Amino acid sequence: MDISQKPLPRITPDTEPFWAACRRHELLLAECHACGKVHLPPGPVCPFCFSDDLGWRQASGRGQVSAWTVVHKEWFAAFHDDLPYNAAQIELEEGPRLTANLIGVDNDKITVGMAVEVVFDDVSEEVTLPRFTPAA
Amino acid sequence: MNDIVRDKAAIVGIGRSQFGRFLPESQLGLGAIALKGALADSGLERADIDGLSLHMGWPLGLDYDQIAEAYGLDVRYVNQMWTHGRFIAYTLQHAALAVISGMADVVACVTAISFTRERDILGGPGDMEGMREGGGTHGESPPYGLTAPAAGAALAYQRYMALYGATPEQLAAVPIAFRKHAQRNPHAYTYGKGELSVADHQSQRMIVDPLRLFDCSLISDGAVVILVTSAERARDLKRKPVYISGMQGLRSGREEFIFAPRGMGLNQQSGKRAGADERDLAVYSMAGIEREDIDGLYTYDAFSPLPLFVLERFGFCAPGEAAGWAQNGRIELGGELPMNTSGGLLCEGHIGGWNSVYEISSQLRGACGERQIADARHLQWGTCWGDSLVFRN
Repeated sequence: MDISQKPLPRITPDTEPFWAACRRHELLLAECHACGKVHLPPGPVCPFCFSDDLGWRQASGRGQVSAWTVVHKEWFAAFHDDLPYNAAQIELEEGPRLTANLIGVDNDKITVGMAVEVVFDDVSEEVTLPRFTPAA
Repeated sequence: MNDIVRDKAAIVGIGRSQFGRFLPESQLGLGAIALKGALADSGLERADIDGLSLHMGWPLGLDYDQIAEAYGLDVRYVNQMWTHGRFIAYTLQHAALAVISGMADVVACVTAISFTRERDILGGPGDMEGMREGGGTHGESPPYGLTAPAAGAALAYQRYMALYGATPEQLAAVPIAFRKHAQRNPHAYTYGKGELSVADHQSQRMIVDPLRLFDCSLISDGAVVILVTSAERARDLKRKPVYISGMQGLRSGREEFIFAPRGMGLNQQSGKRAGADERDLAVYSMAGIEREDIDGLYTYDAFSPLPLFVLERFGFCAPGEAAGWAQNGRIELGGELPMNTSGGLLCEGHIGGWNSVYEISSQLRGACGERQIADARHLQWGTCWGDSLVFRN
């Protein structure tokens, strides 16, 4: 692995539509047409009712911080210049959680329950990462 | 089921190498020292070993075939789990099941690891676990810079603090207790380094907020070998057997997050917490005891929050109460529930948790000198992900 480069998501047949939508700056949730529930991470079946009848629903992009941390140690050389940097689990309005960084907020101002909304970061031609920023 | 397992298998031999950092021996060299020690301790011969059970495979540790080839073993039973701390209990449980079922007579659980030689395995480019689709096994997410297991424990304790008003200072009770234990254990890496105060803990550098240096396990090298045989055969051996009285597996599902109590709102957990349930407590009924009969609790303390979460998993504390309860020496030797009396991963050495299995065995033999739990009768291994073993003498 090239440690001078930040790792990119491993895109699989199950997650490809999610990442393709991110490239369009849309956040999708896997939706079950049988039971109506949404889930993440995307999978081949509904984890609640085990139906194969799945589709996608656009998320509002709004949510709240459910857990966060600030990384101070360099484990991975590509993140050296970012230290110290935050990462958080975001509980989307629709329920499922995503892990991402928070931008536009000082690390010492992050709190559990903070309202946030998605922003998209085109990190390469192929990959766009969702990140979150304090809600307007 | 109780009749099948309870007291039908036993630990009959224990051995270990030095625990330290940058030890000169290879993992095979460390393992050989521990295996010779365990054989001498048990009175068994090398040829008696006909099974291997292990989880810390290459490159951090050794794979079963390397072990069998290098030590000249000829085994008929092998079990090898992930190279992952969470599979300690399973590795020992499968050794017990193998001797109970007759698939093997004597199973050696061999753990020989060198974290200092394989440093990039922890959160670095050699740590492939975090790259798994859908997130790593401890909540890692490398594209966002969460490449190390510690981050999962940090996320969990941040949420725990927000939910229950716990503090980073309360977390200090864990390394303070285990460092104190290590000062009574000449084999511990931190032996002679003195006790810790809350101020010492809080003055250390931040690793991953709120975890500071002393909240993260030692990065160490060493080996432990545990020999398991049937209770019947154990009775004829040199040492008083340490019986495996009860055991249960780890829990997994959308309500579980490896480094947090059930239902706390990490990853896809609902956020609906409840006290310990029947599945969490099955190990006690299998062992034929009550939780109150446990004289000491041992756990995988890779990070300080984990011992607190174990207390809630097994109902020693109600949800949200462990950080407060663990204060004032309650988890120290002489306290209400001594935990990790050798110093654990935080203060004795990170031998994949097998240093604690060695300690449990020594305690139940009454061989722990000034850190002996008085009249130790039942000791428990349990983790915050729910697996457990109860041992008795």
